[in-house]
Amino acid sequence: MKRKKEFIGRLIGEMTNYLLESDPLMLVVSLHHEQDGAHISFFDDRIRTDKELKKINDALNPKNSRPELAGYYGSMAGNSMSWSGRLDLIGWQIKGASVKNSSTGIHIDLWLGSDEFMPEQFTINQNKK
Amino acid sequence: MDKKEKTLYIVITLLVVSLAIFGVWIEGPTNAFRQVLMLQGQSAQLINDFTVYGTGGTFVNAASVGALALILVYFASVNLSGPTLATILTMIGFSFFGTTPLNSIPIIVGVYLASRYSNQSFGSFSIIALFGTAIGPVVTFIIFTTDMPLMFSFPLGLAAGVLIGFILPALASSMLQLHQGYNLYNMGFTCGFLGLFIAGILRALGIIYIPESNWNEGSSLSLMLVIPFFSLVFIITALLTEKWQNCFYGLKEIQKMTGRLPSDFFDSPYIGGTLLNVGLLGLLYYLYVLAIGVSLSGPVVGGLLTIMAFGGFGKTLKNTYPIVLGVILASLLFKKELTEGGAVLALLFSTTLAPLAGQFGPVIGIVAGVLHLVMVEITAHWQGALNLYNNGFAGGLTAILVVAIMQWFSTYQKRRSRL
Repeated sequence: MKRKKEFIGRLIGEMTNYLLESDPLMLVVSLHHEQDGAHISFFDDRIRTDKELKKINDALNPKNSRPELAGYYGSMAGNSMSWSGRLDLIGWQIKGASVKNSSTGIHIDLWLGSDEFMPEQFTINQNKK
Repeated sequence: MDKKEKTLYIVITLLVVSLAIFGVWIEGPTNAFRQVLMLQGQSAQLINDFTVYGTGGTFVNAASVGALALILVYFASVNLSGPTLATILTMIGFSFFGTTPLNSIPIIVGVYLASRYSNQSFGSFSIIALFGTAIGPVVTFIIFTTDMPLMFSFPLGLAAGVLIGFILPALASSMLQLHQGYNLYNMGFTCGFLGLFIAGILRALGIIYIPESNWNEGSSLSLMLVIPFFSLVFIITALLTEKWQNCFYGLKEIQKMTGRLPSDFFDSPYIGGTLLNVGLLGLLYYLYVLAIGVSLSGPVVGGLLTIMAFGGFGKTLKNTYPIVLGVILASLLFKKELTEGGAVLALLFSTTLAPLAGQFGPVIGIVAGVLHLVMVEITAHWQGALNLYNNGFAGGLTAILVVAIMQWFSTYQKRRSRL
């Protein structure tokens, strides 16, 4: 539990660091926790361009898995709010992310969990249906 | 495995095999093998130039260390990319003056056991395992330098190496937080920190021994050819991989990166530019060494190889020069000979602080270079010369100071601008 708490805290820290750089008036972080995984949503009130969305999406969904970077260098995520947020540190450590504009601003979903964890079977999604 | 990774496997295999063949060719197989065996028993504490005991044997030792690293990367199922290329070339570089298979393997085994203990894949600890070989001299020190009979010292040395390797992952991440990725040789910083305690224990036991530096004064043709050969292999590979216009465009784009850890330049679209950066860094600093009239000894070749090693993982032509200028300035200021061995090594390895210049500009880079030279001269003694990446230790301390001050100023400026 201690490790999970630290891990989620670091991810939220780095993600909010990144989002706060665009100086939003509203920022909502929502966490849903289940046995095999977790879902963290971020909403703000800043609409991003398609180019910005692609850049964020590419950083959060790296082409290759990078275990050698995820654990060791990934521990820097959420460590400092003084410098620009680095989304690749998050991307190496999560299962996947979806990035889109909602009616008010950006909406980012981070999915994390073990190999057994499938976002499509997540109860939050089922509830939505 | 993608095309980029295949290319890197071919390049590294070519370099490792060339070193082995060249080593055997200049000494003959029997002599080279005998020298490699002899090197395993030499003190690996700073600074012991292995080329003093035979250039051919040193080349074969370097090839065996490089092969060990490459095989580990392959079987750990991690990408051969910027960070792993950095580990392999750095290990090859340090096997010219300290790293051997004998003092590396126990550390790697210890990190492997830590990965099993924490239920993580070895791949996720692979960089720690490979760079962790910096503290390998502890193994050799216990086996060969203490007065114990070999039948006791040998297992004790191996066990100490395994124990050190086991605790390295716990330390490495914490050390990274202190300088926030602005010191490229983080494992040097980590091993230096650990080395303080090891040296403290050895001092308390009354068995610490810091040897006199042992340098190869002359320069052989074979040693002079290593860096141009390695550099040309990377440059030619770049030009074979992409059109030369794309390579130079990529090189230009890479210069814009800060280099802060972890910056894998091979993850960018500029593969040719990255390979060119590696080759040009090697050639540029090789020419500097030749220009000031320093002979190409084992440690100097190791320093140059380490600069190249990070050409895909944080160092560029643009972010290294201010640090180097700072070291030159400090040498002149404090009346040190630029050609003196320690100053040359400090200059080459000071590029560990390249991200400071990349992030905060050339002036801060120069200041960091000045501070680095001052620190590196005392840190080796602190850690009993047991940590090969002593510049990583000094660099870490310098980076913590500079980053803390810059962080404070940046916060203060932001607040003031809002008032």
